[in-house]
Amino acid sequence: MNLVRFERIRKSFAGKLVLDDLSLSVDRGEVYGLLGPNGCGKSTAINVLCNLLDPDAGTVRIAGDAVSGDAKGLVGLCPQDIALYRDLYPGENLRFFAQVYGLSGSAQKRRVSELMELFGLERFGRMPVGSLSGGWQRRVHIAVALVHSPAILVLDEPTSAVDLEARHELWHLIDALKRTGTTILLTTHHLDEAEHLCSRIGIMKNGRIAKEGTVAELLAVVPAQAIALVETATEDAVLRRAEELGWGIRHYADKLGCLLPQQASLRAVVDALRDVDVSAVSVQRVSLEHAYLEVVQSATGATSHSGPVRDNDEASPLIRKEAGR
Amino acid sequence: MPTRTARSNGAPTPTRPMVGQTLAIARRILTEYVRQRRSLIFWAVFPALMLLLFGLMYRNNASLQASFDTTAAGILIGAALFFSCLGGTVSLIVAERERRTLRRLLVSPLRPAAYFLGLVLALSVIAFCQAVIVYALAYAMGARYHGSVWLGVLIVALSVFAYVGLGFCFGARFAKRAEDVNGPVAAFGVPLLVLAGTFFPVSLLPEFLLKLAFLDPVFHMNQALKGVAGRGAGWVEISTHLHFLVAFAAVALALGIRSYRRLLLEEKRA
Repeated sequence: MNLVRFERIRKSFAGKLVLDDLSLSVDRGEVYGLLGPNGCGKSTAINVLCNLLDPDAGTVRIAGDAVSGDAKGLVGLCPQDIALYRDLYPGENLRFFAQVYGLSGSAQKRRVSELMELFGLERFGRMPVGSLSGGWQRRVHIAVALVHSPAILVLDEPTSAVDLEARHELWHLIDALKRTGTTILLTTHHLDEAEHLCSRIGIMKNGRIAKEGTVAELLAVVPAQAIALVETATEDAVLRRAEELGWGIRHYADKLGCLLPQQASLRAVVDALRDVDVSAVSVQRVSLEHAYLEVVQSATGATSHSGPVRDNDEASPLIRKEAGR
Repeated sequence: MPTRTARSNGAPTPTRPMVGQTLAIARRILTEYVRQRRSLIFWAVFPALMLLLFGLMYRNNASLQASFDTTAAGILIGAALFFSCLGGTVSLIVAERERRTLRRLLVSPLRPAAYFLGLVLALSVIAFCQAVIVYALAYAMGARYHGSVWLGVLIVALSVFAYVGLGFCFGARFAKRAEDVNGPVAAFGVPLLVLAGTFFPVSLLPEFLLKLAFLDPVFHMNQALKGVAGRGAGWVEISTHLHFLVAFAAVALALGIRSYRRLLLEEKRA
């Protein structure tokens, strides 16, 4: 059942259309991942949901009713930047926001201690938030967004600027929230995070959802069972060989991606390319990163599935990852 | 146009008690000050030193008691409350912006008036402590408080209100970052202090400046408190100043709420 519905939301800034008839829905109890390149309208969509921006047209509904100024308690916003009172203890931050949301007395006490326990914050009871590590500050940050038991929790890049270990701990935490039935709208640039956490994912491009579905449904967008990444100085030769073999081609940064119609071993791929001069080959399963690129690039009309990918495309985590290797 | 209606959901629907929100803001600010300590120390030391300095300076023209009788009120208004309540408000607003908590408050049902009154309440507690320090020191130097204590409390409370209102305006309009805090306080606040005759008698002011001083809320704070504390003046004698301060307190509240809304609007656009 839909808890949140964006119904044909349009929003422009200074004549530039940022949300273009955006429609999406989030079911009760699911974790919905909103992905997309910078500037695609994710933040604007969140601001409209949080009633921070009025749409030019369309309606956002939570549990069937249109979002309005009187519905501020329905959304728990966890912004990308940590927004806490650094001199206060974690419990004091929670109590403060609980009071702001009108919780008092035993209800407030109960909610604060529930969250302290759920987020493992009791052991930092007498430590100012500013003295905690980034990962623990993130936990307090998320807990504060939940203090008033909102209908939907909005996590805007919840693991940005934390180390790998803290990131995995936050994943566990979000998993735990998912098990309690919390409805979550999550934005992230980490596709592995979306793959791990989200029940459904919407990929935004140019202010609207370009593709939506479960991870499995999105993976089906890539016309391959596996991808062979090839490094070569003689690209034309590889392209010719791929054509002979009936493989599709994608460009991922400085590597060629050969779309393999069936799962294939590394040895089989190397054998297939034995007459071609290649310096490195690896075989990967099709991942959300490949699906994301497939959707984002085709939605722009710029993909040439074999055309070069722009180096400065921030929407391409795969490309960043590859380039970093 | 998008539909705009109120709604409720399955989750607990919190009420929005103004008093609870006001107390929450005040408690939070005071806790932060106590943890930071530094501001509290400066706000205690600065007026104490200024009191000693000006009290001893004016002793040339009067007895030690008379000198401190007159100086204490001006120091409390001009050196203590000015920095804690006006400077403090600007700093609090900037800090709220810089640590992004303003955005968090923006999506909450916090009422602008509760935010303003929470600041007033927290800074009133600090103002009360400063008043105790200033008058304890003045007492030690031989000065006496001559008038009604309750009248003094009322003047201080109205002064805090006025300073917080001005601080909201300066903070919302001119201070975006921590480095900006001193600018508006120095550029707009200090001239108000000087015009108010905080550290010297207003008799030194030329006629046209004296007329201008009547529009300065700090002038009325000073004259009212100097009258009550230094000369034992009653309600009737300081009624002009009180009327002005009450009116300005109302204006300050309106300015504060307006400035808070402006802050939120800017945050929305950010």
